[in-house]
Amino acid sequence: MGNFGQLMDGFAIALTTHHILIMVFGVLLGLVVGVLPGLGAPNGVSLLMPLTFTMEPISAIILLTSMYWGALFGGSTTSILFNIPGEPSSVATTFDGHPMAKQGQAVRALTLAFASAGIGALIGVLVITLMSGWVANFALRFGSPEYFAVYFLAFASFIGMAGGSPFKTLVSIMLGLAAGTIGMDTISGEGRLTFGINELTAGISFLIVVIGLFGIGELLVTIDEGYKFEGVKAKLSLREIFRTLAEMPRYWVTILRSALIGCWMGITPGGPTAASFMSYALGRRFSKRGWNFGKGEPEGIISPETADHSAGSCALLPMLALGVPGSATAAVMMGGLMIWGLSPGPMLFTSQPDFVWGLIASMYAGNLIAVVLVLATVPLFAFILRAPFSVVGPLIAIICVIGAYTVANHVFDIWLALVFGLVGYVFKKLSYPLAPFVLAVVLGDKAEDAFRQSMLSSGGTLRVFFETPLVATMMTIGIFLLLLPLITRVFGAVFNSGTKRGVA
Amino acid sequence: MKKTASYLGLAAAIAVTASVSAPDAARAEWKPDRPVEIVVSAGPGGGTDIFARVVQAALTKNALLTTPILVLNKGGGSGSEAFNYAKDNPDSPYKIYFGTQDAYVLPLGTKVNYSFNDLTPVASMVFDVFILWSNPKASGLNTAQEFIAKAKANPGKVRVAGAKAKDADETVVTLIERATGTDLAYIPYKSGSEAAIQVAGGHIEANTNNPSESLEQWKAGNQKPLCVFTSARLTDKTVVADGMSWADIPTCVEAGIDVKDFLQPRTVWMGAKVPPEALAYYTDLMKKVTETPEFKSYVERNVQINKMLVGQDFKTFLDQQIKTYAEIYKANGWLVATGQ
Amino acid sequence: MKISWKAMEVVTAAATGLIGAVVCYGSLENGIAWNSSGPEPGYFPFGIGCLIMLGSVGTMVQALMKRSVAPVTASATGGEIVDDDEPFMDTRGFRTVALFFLPIVAMAAISVWLGLYIGMALYIFYAMRVSAGFRTSTSLLTAAIVVAVNFIVFEKLFMVPLLKGPILEYFGIY
Repeated sequence: MGNFGQLMDGFAIALTTHHILIMVFGVLLGLVVGVLPGLGAPNGVSLLMPLTFTMEPISAIILLTSMYWGALFGGSTTSILFNIPGEPSSVATTFDGHPMAKQGQAVRALTLAFASAGIGALIGVLVITLMSGWVANFALRFGSPEYFAVYFLAFASFIGMAGGSPFKTLVSIMLGLAAGTIGMDTISGEGRLTFGINELTAGISFLIVVIGLFGIGELLVTIDEGYKFEGVKAKLSLREIFRTLAEMPRYWVTILRSALIGCWMGITPGGPTAASFMSYALGRRFSKRGWNFGKGEPEGIISPETADHSAGSCALLPMLALGVPGSATAAVMMGGLMIWGLSPGPMLFTSQPDFVWGLIASMYAGNLIAVVLVLATVPLFAFILRAPFSVVGPLIAIICVIGAYTVANHVFDIWLALVFGLVGYVFKKLSYPLAPFVLAVVLGDKAEDAFRQSMLSSGGTLRVFFETPLVATMMTIGIFLLLLPLITRVFGAVFNSGTKRGVA
Repeated sequence: MKKTASYLGLAAAIAVTASVSAPDAARAEWKPDRPVEIVVSAGPGGGTDIFARVVQAALTKNALLTTPILVLNKGGGSGSEAFNYAKDNPDSPYKIYFGTQDAYVLPLGTKVNYSFNDLTPVASMVFDVFILWSNPKASGLNTAQEFIAKAKANPGKVRVAGAKAKDADETVVTLIERATGTDLAYIPYKSGSEAAIQVAGGHIEANTNNPSESLEQWKAGNQKPLCVFTSARLTDKTVVADGMSWADIPTCVEAGIDVKDFLQPRTVWMGAKVPPEALAYYTDLMKKVTETPEFKSYVERNVQINKMLVGQDFKTFLDQQIKTYAEIYKANGWLVATGQ
Repeated sequence: MKISWKAMEVVTAAATGLIGAVVCYGSLENGIAWNSSGPEPGYFPFGIGCLIMLGSVGTMVQALMKRSVAPVTASATGGEIVDDDEPFMDTRGFRTVALFFLPIVAMAAISVWLGLYIGMALYIFYAMRVSAGFRTSTSLLTAAIVVAVNFIVFEKLFMVPLLKGPILEYFGIY
């Protein structure tokens, strides 16, 4: 009950007019940077950082986190409208969000995404509120083997969902892993697969991969299919928003499952990206309408969005308690924390309760404000889709090129994104699954690092992955999830050497 | 308008320096007239990033620099991305680079595309110290002597975590090994704070770190400082935890590990062909930064050694450092044969 | 000109296989053994390269075994089944895609040379005037607006400098 009292104190701190204005400003700015590819939450934070030097730490963190929520929502918007995810964690939103938007239901897709994201975030904050003490200690139990097990679990659950030719899935995953390997190796400090090319020593950024594969690739596919984009007239009525909101309760099982996955991945080091992919995969497996995933299925939007945002909220707690940021944005915010004179760590909760609980309270309020504001922008965004493709297409192309450049101010990245664009186009037409490629880029090197750290610390024995109940449980579930589709697929291949495979 | 002014200014500056007679006058005149880029040789959130952002805060809050400041993180390739950028922009007076010893150590042990000669040293602003930490609850190690005894009894089995491979942390671990005749298992993590968490969680026996990265875990009782790699004890006497202050941490030499000063300079650089008046301007600017309250509180919070090196002092220091590192790297077998 | 599905499948598989081989070759430099302290840096990349080659060979064999390949486009439109006779790409399709993609490549090339703002201005003008067939004045106006908006957002509001190139530099815009 102590938490509840502290939360009330937190609300007293967070809910002043001053702070609510800060939240509104932060969310709006976040929306702008989230929607404009080429800018992201880290840009917003960098922009605001000098402003915060003169603020109270609590006001400063409320400003930055509100900006972050806004950017997350904005990132989902571009995923749905243009198939360009702004953050790794909103990749999974493109799978069904963009198809639904292309079918003329952009308003519905956006509303579903925002509503489930809001619900997910609130569930996440609720979990933080109730279990703050426990979560911080639980996170300390994660050594390298446990890290590896979490990544393995996410991978295993996702690989099963990639339909189609197992060979193509294999190629896609492995190419993703190879792309993730390029650059400096953490464990040995050696450059890998750089072939002496200067630009490759920094590695290939995930953003370049998605801008190419998803953004440019999708443009080419759309062109090839003959401007199908254009025929669609998005409905613009406000009633559509409310009708979609009324739809939400129907999906309570999906929401609950996704939020649970999200909270678990947020508390453990898996993070929002792994959470959204895993939730999408499991959503597809457990949903009665699993066959419709990838074609504009509502549950295919709700699953990743809910998990993404509940994980994002939950991940804040281990970050504050351990001082290990989960994303680039979080890292900039933590840097800010230290510049303001606060140190993240286990003592922050006892030494700065006002700060911590004010922040948690602001997360409730900030997310509510974000959902309301973002829903208000839905008609505006849907309007963009009514413009003819001959205008929108080149604009998206420019956005992709600028976006590729701003990732690291490298001209080389523009070329790389164009190459990935061609790869995305060909792969999509030949139905190579792209999602495993992206997941492999995001999680591959983390998983490898964790694996090799485990090997170094255990003297090279694989037993380390089954030594404690925690890691053994996660590994067993992971292996089960990995084998399940393989078994079914082998049986399927034996009994049905079909000529036409259903792929999505 | 603006263009003409800047071109004239630059031309005048070049003319004056060329004539050698009155360089001071030119120095006083040079001022950046467009946004200044602070290039950080590390990703966001780490020690170097915080260092650069503290400097940014000090410059902004005290209006030392009135043109806009852009902070760019170029941490790819262990930070070599930032210094490659310096190589590509050798004469830009609007780019200053923030790093550690990595600026001159990276080319020794890794195949990178820049060499030390692609950089102009500006200043070393402050020194971070290194501390050897353990988790007394999980490993029962309370002193450096116990740590060494355990390492001797279990060769290759006692694990030490640190940030990155072949960087400062691994170097200091190899120095410990050589000084004590032990064999430790070094395990690299992405950042110092990740390594600290592994020790705090009881998964790894010990780690080396800058004080601030493990301070909170010390307060929480999850970590304990065993010894500090300096020749004299730290001066801060405020009690941190268990009645112990920074000044109560024995030096490693006292504790039986014969590794003297192992310090991490927080360094500032510019491109190789930067105009001398710009160099003079930024050197002066950095001196002013060290006098701001923001920077002072940063130094205090991070228990750093407040010693600034510029000009010839810095160059002498660098020559010394490169020699020392080259010896260590040679002994470790990390030295790469570069073309230069 | 016609590219059949089968040919495209085989060519793609050959390309991925080649990448696999390159990955294997590149990882040899880092050591691919599994020694006492676990895998060497090249161990996983080498395995990854081998698996890419394995998957590529599998895909190629699958493609060659089938007389006519009839895949389902994974397109967002719901994946209608492509007719067996329809080629992967015919002349018209190739033209459409090339006419869209090549200007983007040209924009990238011009941007690298003269800066992103000039690149995007020329590209938008081209796309509006030539591809979409708008009037010259409309196209010019759109190009100007796009450049202005981007300039204000990136350079002024968020202080993210985009590549300028020598011309803008000459006019004192940096």
